[in-house]
Amino acid sequence: MCDIPSCLTNVCVLYFAKSAELSGVREELLQVDTPINSQDLWTRLLGLRVLQGHVVLAVRHQYVAIDDQEALTLRDGDEVAVVPPLSGG
Amino acid sequence: MEVTSAMADEVDYLKTQLGEKEKEIAALKTKLAAFEKNSTSVPQLLDRVTPLTPLKAKAALSNEDIMRYSRQLLLPELGVQGQLNLFKTSVLIVGCGGLGCPLAQYLAAAGIGRLGLLDYDEVELSNLHRQVLHGEENQGQTKARSAANAVRRLNSTVECVPYHLQLSPENALQLIQQYPVHSNNVPTRYLVNDACVLSGKPLVSASALRMEGQLTLYNYDGGPCYRCLYPVPPPPETVTNCSDGGVLGVVPGIMGCLQALEVLKIASGHGSSCGQQLVTFDAQSARFRSIRLRPKQLGCVVCGEEPCVTQLIDYEAFCGSAATDKCRRLNLLSKEQRITVQDYKSIVDNAEPHLLLDVRPLVEVDICNLPSSLNIPLSSLEEKKSEHMQLLQERIGQLKQQIDGVCWPPVYVICKMGNDSQKAVRILGKMSGTEVDNIKVKDICGGLMAWAQWIDPKFPQY
Repeated sequence: MCDIPSCLTNVCVLYFAKSAELSGVREELLQVDTPINSQDLWTRLLGLRVLQGHVVLAVRHQYVAIDDQEALTLRDGDEVAVVPPLSGG
Repeated sequence: MEVTSAMADEVDYLKTQLGEKEKEIAALKTKLAAFEKNSTSVPQLLDRVTPLTPLKAKAALSNEDIMRYSRQLLLPELGVQGQLNLFKTSVLIVGCGGLGCPLAQYLAAAGIGRLGLLDYDEVELSNLHRQVLHGEENQGQTKARSAANAVRRLNSTVECVPYHLQLSPENALQLIQQYPVHSNNVPTRYLVNDACVLSGKPLVSASALRMEGQLTLYNYDGGPCYRCLYPVPPPPETVTNCSDGGVLGVVPGIMGCLQALEVLKIASGHGSSCGQQLVTFDAQSARFRSIRLRPKQLGCVVCGEEPCVTQLIDYEAFCGSAATDKCRRLNLLSKEQRITVQDYKSIVDNAEPHLLLDVRPLVEVDICNLPSSLNIPLSSLEEKKSEHMQLLQERIGQLKQQIDGVCWPPVYVICKMGNDSQKAVRILGKMSGTEVDNIKVKDICGGLMAWAQWIDPKFPQY
């Protein structure tokens, strides 16, 4: 969608388990740069630093490594999911 | 004539009596035989891991098998071969709780060969809303025994091995090597994961909390292990369990059923379609999502190319918390900053002016509370919510007038178990003299559950 090197796009962030508790919302629209590397995308999600290393970050239902330097191209309406493991049984 | 007739009547009477007694004896014999048969088939509760005899493969289905499993035998995805494969499969269920109960139930119903049922807890009333194999009469019984009995009632052809023990680095490998397919719940995830990787077994893992569930298949068909996804254990204070966070019983029920489904697919030879997937279930919106995970990581410390974890380690040290579902007890304060429930009782009895601050979330305060308490949740204190700060200052002001400024107004902080109240005491200690007037703030050790245990037995426990 983006022909110019960098532009803004609106993604829908879904927060699961502990991340919903930490962010205070289950879902939010977020305006981010695209392309963006996963580390920068992760730092845009506020208050979740404590989860790094034990969380699954997914873009369009695909796992994304948070320390990955590869640029992600995001489109309007893309779903970003933050899924820490659940601890109950 | 009369005499003879009377005798004949007597003979008839005795014959009838004898016939009845004989019937009674026969009935008692049948009952005894049935009882003896059952009592010998009650599996012995094991408190340690012992070697098991390998399951014998059945060559063909009996007529009874065909009748019992007819509705699933009709499925081309299972069929006769799939059923025979189930008969020779052993599954270890780690935890006979909200997930383990429906899992054991459906695996037994489907005719799995052997079920290892492991749990170290006893059945409690607060388990029954989700741990559906246990009944009211099983309270106080070991969960492993209670689950094994329930499974036996459902399908006596399934071999049950109840284990009343805690999974540890010492027994996990020996145990897990005896079972080809596993499924587990928290909090021994890293231990079970490593033991499964080291013995080359797939792990069908599910979890449920509040209104959410997750299902992942680890160490299966090139997919990741638990450590590939979560290399670092979460800090203990960020972990919420069922007794803190609550859970709607049907949510683990659904996740346990999904686990049973994947185990049956693997055990029958059909194969799972959940490899390299994380399935999340949002019970509020009734939505499932599947996240495609990364494959197994070459650099993983346990399943990678050059693993450094080649035997089981100390997982409590690794995770920084005790590996049980029971609540952790924090110890953040000095002795001077804490009082016992007995101390608080005498403060109330002596009508000493004070403020009792209950820092539990509103939903818990609605369940039960002490009548004179002021409720400000810990989260509001942490965020310094203005309406709550105002309310707190107002109440402190009133108390100050009441005691006429002789000393700093005493504030006692309470929660359910005595962990959050300690955090609150720390926060309030910092606020004292700045955000609010000077106060003397103390924690009530053990919280409302200690109050219920030691002071007021009528106070509800949850």
